[in-house]
Amino acid sequence: MSRALDRTGIWIGWAFFADLTNALALTFGYMFSRPVTMQYPDKEKWLPYSRYRGHHFLKRDDEGEIKCVACELCARICPCDCIEVIPYEDEKGNRHPAKFEIDMARCLFCGLCEDACPADAIALGQQYEFSSFSSADLVVGRDDLLGKPGKATTGGGVVAARLNTEQDVLVETSEPQGYNWWRNIRRR
Amino acid sequence: MELVVALGLILFKVALLIAILLLLPLPLTWLERKIAGHIQQRMGPMRVGWHGLLQPVADGVKLLTKEDHIPAEADRFLFKLAPILALAPPFVVFVAIPFGESVSVLGTKITLYVSNMNVGLLFVFAVIGIEVYGVIFGGWAANSKYAVLGSLRTCAQMISYEIPMGFAVIGVVMLAQSMSLLDIVRAQANVWNIVYQPVGFFVFFVAGLAEAQRIPFDLAEAEGDLGAGFHTEYSGIRFAFFMVSEYAIMLLTSVLAVILFFGGWNGVLVPLPPLLWFVLKVAFFVYVFIWFRFTFPRYRYDQLMAIGWKVLLPLSMANIIITGVAFL
Repeated sequence: MSRALDRTGIWIGWAFFADLTNALALTFGYMFSRPVTMQYPDKEKWLPYSRYRGHHFLKRDDEGEIKCVACELCARICPCDCIEVIPYEDEKGNRHPAKFEIDMARCLFCGLCEDACPADAIALGQQYEFSSFSSADLVVGRDDLLGKPGKATTGGGVVAARLNTEQDVLVETSEPQGYNWWRNIRRR
Repeated sequence: MELVVALGLILFKVALLIAILLLLPLPLTWLERKIAGHIQQRMGPMRVGWHGLLQPVADGVKLLTKEDHIPAEADRFLFKLAPILALAPPFVVFVAIPFGESVSVLGTKITLYVSNMNVGLLFVFAVIGIEVYGVIFGGWAANSKYAVLGSLRTCAQMISYEIPMGFAVIGVVMLAQSMSLLDIVRAQANVWNIVYQPVGFFVFFVAGLAEAQRIPFDLAEAEGDLGAGFHTEYSGIRFAFFMVSEYAIMLLTSVLAVILFFGGWNGVLVPLPPLLWFVLKVAFFVYVFIWFRFTFPRYRYDQLMAIGWKVLLPLSMANIIITGVAFL
């Protein structure tokens, strides 16, 4: 009996376009939901997670000396052969890189150099805005790598940002953690 | 002297109508993109002007400065004629559309319509039929397979949907005992036609969607399977003509739905100026058009034909018979 009732219900719904009405109600509801758009260069900016693999940076030790010992293991393990290291010996007899160049145009950001490094000198940081009109600009030297931002501490969120191409990107955080982007996606 | 004033008044009204109809697509495209964006949880245009308000102007400049390309193998005369044929009829139709009774400015009574034809409804349907030629010529003259397929579909679609649309409004004409759009609105002063003619309205609205070639019946354009359908080969200002024509027809269908079924400028409960009531109702229907576009997928060609001939036509016939019986 109830199955027959169900059937008539379905037929009545079909006659009065219940499915189309449902669809209209759904889209109308979505119209007043919050957009998930991240207005990237204009207003908002994505903060990477702390595990994010962005632009490389070289670390210094406590005395301010470069940690790298120019063992060239990173250059050896690099799958796309984009690191070039030339060592030198300073007056105390320590090995350091005279030249440490990474070709960002060829790098695939696998992070193997970070894993291979015995001196914990190189890592992949949080910077991801380094596109350029010339591929020659993407070859980054030792001193630039020392100045790059390190790993993100907080992250995984959207913050208000203003893109300033003259200097670095200014990040103006209203909420320290950023807001949870996924929170705004509706699920039924 | 009186003749000159009357003539001047008519010319002024016609000029005003043309200006409004030509400019209205600008806010409508913005609104359509905004609504589309928010339905899909995007923002729509945001970068040109405040919340993208100047986006249609930017698009207009882009269209005007683009190359006006004519394919080498095209029929040049028909190719140039088609956008004009598509654009003119929706503009002509608005001559017969009343927007209100009359207002008095500086002591003279000015009617809010250009002419009150006693066969207004017939005029509307006759003139809007010409619009099909623009689409068919455009598709044929471009000498491109996508365009021809698009215009063939349109040809069949227009003819099959004009019939139920014509039948659907007969019920309204029977109720008002007149084909004049002014009389039809006056007859709805107490009760709107939608109360007596819900089936008629349904058939009219679905057929109107098909006439305006909007989703879910936009088989003429069908971006997914036909490139852009009949206007595949058009660019620049001629393409803009087709777009303006599409928006004008969408507007016309909304206006007709309001006049025929929703009491025109007759208000209900809230005492607003009649013209404002009219505009609000039309705006609602325009919104419904846009809302439908971003809710429904496109019907298949055989489904389109089945809906036209097997559902809408019998429904509209039955509507006429029942209205007639109840009227007797």
